[in-house]
Amino acid sequence: MDAFDELKISDEQALNHITVSTSLVTNAILQNQVHPVRMLLFSGNGMRADALPWPVSYLELSGEMDFRGREIEPPDLREWENFLTPDLRENPALVVIVGKFSHRNSLHEEQLASYLRGINPALSIALGHVWGQANFYRRSLTTYLNLGVSNLYYKFAQQLQSAVSLRKILAPISILKADGGILPISKIRPIESIYSGPAASILAALTQIESTASSIIVDIGGTTTDIGLVLSGVPLLSSKGAQIGPYSTLVRSLAVRSIPVGGDSAIHASEQGFVLESYRLGTAYCLGGNVPTPTDAMRYLGLIDYGNERLAEEGLASILPMERQTPEFLQELATAIIDTVAERIAEAVVSLKQEWQEEPAYKVWEVLHPHEVHAFNTLVSGGGARGMIKALEKRLKTPIRLGAFPEVSNALGAAMARPTFDCTLHLDTYMRRYRVEETGEQGKWSGPLRPYREVEGFLDNLAQQQATFYGIKIGDLAKEPFDFFPIVQGYKTVGQIVRGAVHLRSGVVGRIHV
Amino acid sequence: MKRTGILFFPAFDWSLGDTHPEREERLLYTQEQLFEEGILDLPQIKQYSPRVASLREGLRAQALLPNPEAFSDSLDAHLIAAGSAILLGEARVRGDIANGFVLARPPGHHSGATVWGNRGFCTLNYEAILVNHLRARFGIEKIAIVDTDVHHGDGTQDIFYHDPNVLFISLHQDGRTIFPGSGFVNEKGGPNAWDQTLNIPLPPGTGDEGYHYVLENWVLPRLQAFAPELIINSAGQDNHFTDPLGAMNLTANGYGRITELLQPDLAVLEGGYSIEGALPYVNLAILLALAGEDYHHVREPQKLARPVLNLATLKPYIQELKKQHLGIKPRFTTQSKASFPKGNWMYSPRSVYYDTKGFQETRHDYIRECSHCAGTVYIESSRLSSPQKSILVRIPFQACPDCEQAGYDLWDHLQHHIEDTESGLLQNQLHDKLSFWNSKEGLREF
Repeated sequence: MDAFDELKISDEQALNHITVSTSLVTNAILQNQVHPVRMLLFSGNGMRADALPWPVSYLELSGEMDFRGREIEPPDLREWENFLTPDLRENPALVVIVGKFSHRNSLHEEQLASYLRGINPALSIALGHVWGQANFYRRSLTTYLNLGVSNLYYKFAQQLQSAVSLRKILAPISILKADGGILPISKIRPIESIYSGPAASILAALTQIESTASSIIVDIGGTTTDIGLVLSGVPLLSSKGAQIGPYSTLVRSLAVRSIPVGGDSAIHASEQGFVLESYRLGTAYCLGGNVPTPTDAMRYLGLIDYGNERLAEEGLASILPMERQTPEFLQELATAIIDTVAERIAEAVVSLKQEWQEEPAYKVWEVLHPHEVHAFNTLVSGGGARGMIKALEKRLKTPIRLGAFPEVSNALGAAMARPTFDCTLHLDTYMRRYRVEETGEQGKWSGPLRPYREVEGFLDNLAQQQATFYGIKIGDLAKEPFDFFPIVQGYKTVGQIVRGAVHLRSGVVGRIHV
Repeated sequence: MKRTGILFFPAFDWSLGDTHPEREERLLYTQEQLFEEGILDLPQIKQYSPRVASLREGLRAQALLPNPEAFSDSLDAHLIAAGSAILLGEARVRGDIANGFVLARPPGHHSGATVWGNRGFCTLNYEAILVNHLRARFGIEKIAIVDTDVHHGDGTQDIFYHDPNVLFISLHQDGRTIFPGSGFVNEKGGPNAWDQTLNIPLPPGTGDEGYHYVLENWVLPRLQAFAPELIINSAGQDNHFTDPLGAMNLTANGYGRITELLQPDLAVLEGGYSIEGALPYVNLAILLALAGEDYHHVREPQKLARPVLNLATLKPYIQELKKQHLGIKPRFTTQSKASFPKGNWMYSPRSVYYDTKGFQETRHDYIRECSHCAGTVYIESSRLSSPQKSILVRIPFQACPDCEQAGYDLWDHLQHHIEDTESGLLQNQLHDKLSFWNSKEGLREF
């Protein structure tokens, strides 16, 4: 709340919304502060679980489902009695239960949970199927992390809420998510709050560009630069879930490249001239630090007006051999440093564009209608932005603009964020079951075997219920066309698998004009 | 790290008909299985996205008749599968991957040198298009194709029958019991490519053990003797015991072992229509085997209930087959036309049935016997109902000057003298040049 108080808001009660972007969960995971969790897996047949790198330990139990959610092998109760009971009978503990194909049928997860609750009501149990996208491995780790950080998160949420209400502020509090959306503090699943910082810088840029423009967003900080893409006004989502430390997750996130280079990156002399290090050794030389940095190069070239000019020169000179410490060589060195930073940023832009253009396609239509090449412009923000404009313009060959309030762009992005929303339906009319990816909801389908119009209404209904639960208003949702897969047995159509989704992509509540 | 590329193109919006085996649903459960396993998270797996092959890339291997641009069926899905094979093949040749799996539909191995439409669910032959692309663009000379689909890979055989630099091996259920009814040991290659086609028809009921025995004792030694730069596996999955069209008894594990034995540079999905009972598991086993991972835990839920032909029964059959194969000597008919350039021309007529729409193609193939190169090939082709014919002239890779000249003489003659000819394609593989001629619009280069 210190930071909040420093804002010196004159009429706090007039606030109508507070959005918090917190690195609490990110840091807890990266610093190994996740609470230990017992992980029980119904891993079934198929690929061996240990083919993938698991950063945490797990216990494999019998019991198997298939891709239609049919039970192939029931769980083995004796296993539960022998392996689990002695261990979990007494103390409170965190337990996650995840089954392969549990997103198609959660039966085994539910059965084991109810068994465990029966022997020890003090257990905190989380089930994998609520992360309803395919990928058993990521579902397991996501469920694990979410439970492992939940105490920490809820404590934080509670303290934040009571501090705000102490100040008699009635504004609702939302948390910024990795996909650039916000959710009420009580509804968000803790793990979804990771990587909100990079998301915020993309949102900040959104407030300053035309609503349908395609832009490269570059946020240059002290040691890290975040790079993102906005395509026709919509930030690019990563096609895979977020990776955090050694954990692969199902958390939806914006496609952002974070590269270890920034205004404060240390520079050392080398045989080829200099090396731009991926770390920081204190502040820039021209600001009283001990090693030269890109900021000194900017200062020397007069691209920025803060910092001591003579110190900048001294810092840069320390890289050059005595006989080359002349204005001519200093100029050349400073330019080369800026160009190197621009080069690193450009490489990340290329790799991001490649990720976008090489997204897998599974339909003929998609392959025949590839992503159009947009004319991009570039928006640069962050502490190191001012000095990089010219070099980036030259390297990226796009029109370039300096973002407003570059030093506080994250806060701007968070404040202007709006909810995101996804509801993805998987319906199997033959099995008479439906599932929702985002919530893990599984239910019975009592409609026709070959539905057409009905599914649209069905999905709208599910979306509406889900939105109400999250306490968000959904207006215009983007609809993905439904995929219909006739299920055929012996040359007869016996049912259909239907897939469809509605989305509200990340965006901002308004635009700023400066 | 040994990297394995995967190109997954399930064509979820394309089918040959609502209840046709080749329908949207075919790879749906394979997607569910692969994605749920997290196989794309294996550090050695790299996923590629598909691209469309050009008509030109297709024409390098096949003549689309009577006119490639006004082809009767839509080629979209087929061109994407072909482009996907090319993309992954290029990645292999460049060394970006150690091996790869083109997991695309529809299949292609029944599609031959001349194409009038879809047959056996196939319109374009991806392996052949890929092989000729790699030879034209990357200078690869020797390639082996091993077809492990339950059906004889007759289209692939047709395209490379006269090509001594492509070894084609097909293991399949005996043609007397299944489509397309060919693939017997006496089909051993054309006059200039004798013994570069090997057909191993297997009795219905052959299981893992028998299949692996044939691979180890016949296929692998033959491959080793040929020493190809690349091995491509036409990885049909209809040998699985649950397949509705085949009568073989292989398991998903058995397919994993096939992959492990063959060590293909590229596996290309062909048939396989047990879309729930087999495909998710067989595809998984193949991909794991390619990636060097343990595939022994892949287990299809259904149990093998049919009687499997045991090895003791199969061994004598295979020995006998081998003896038969060895005993078959080349026998070709010399025959040419008055207009043919000088040389010794071998003639072989054949007829091809297109089961999808139910019509017959009649072919007259002439091959210039040559001891220096693969020999120029001249093929007359027509639909039985039509008096008009189309021609394919093929000047082979590494053609000798005489054969190249013969090819051009034939091509010239075609354009000026033949009244009952509707169109023709010149495949000059030597210089990677493709010309198409038709009686109405004349000549154009591709």
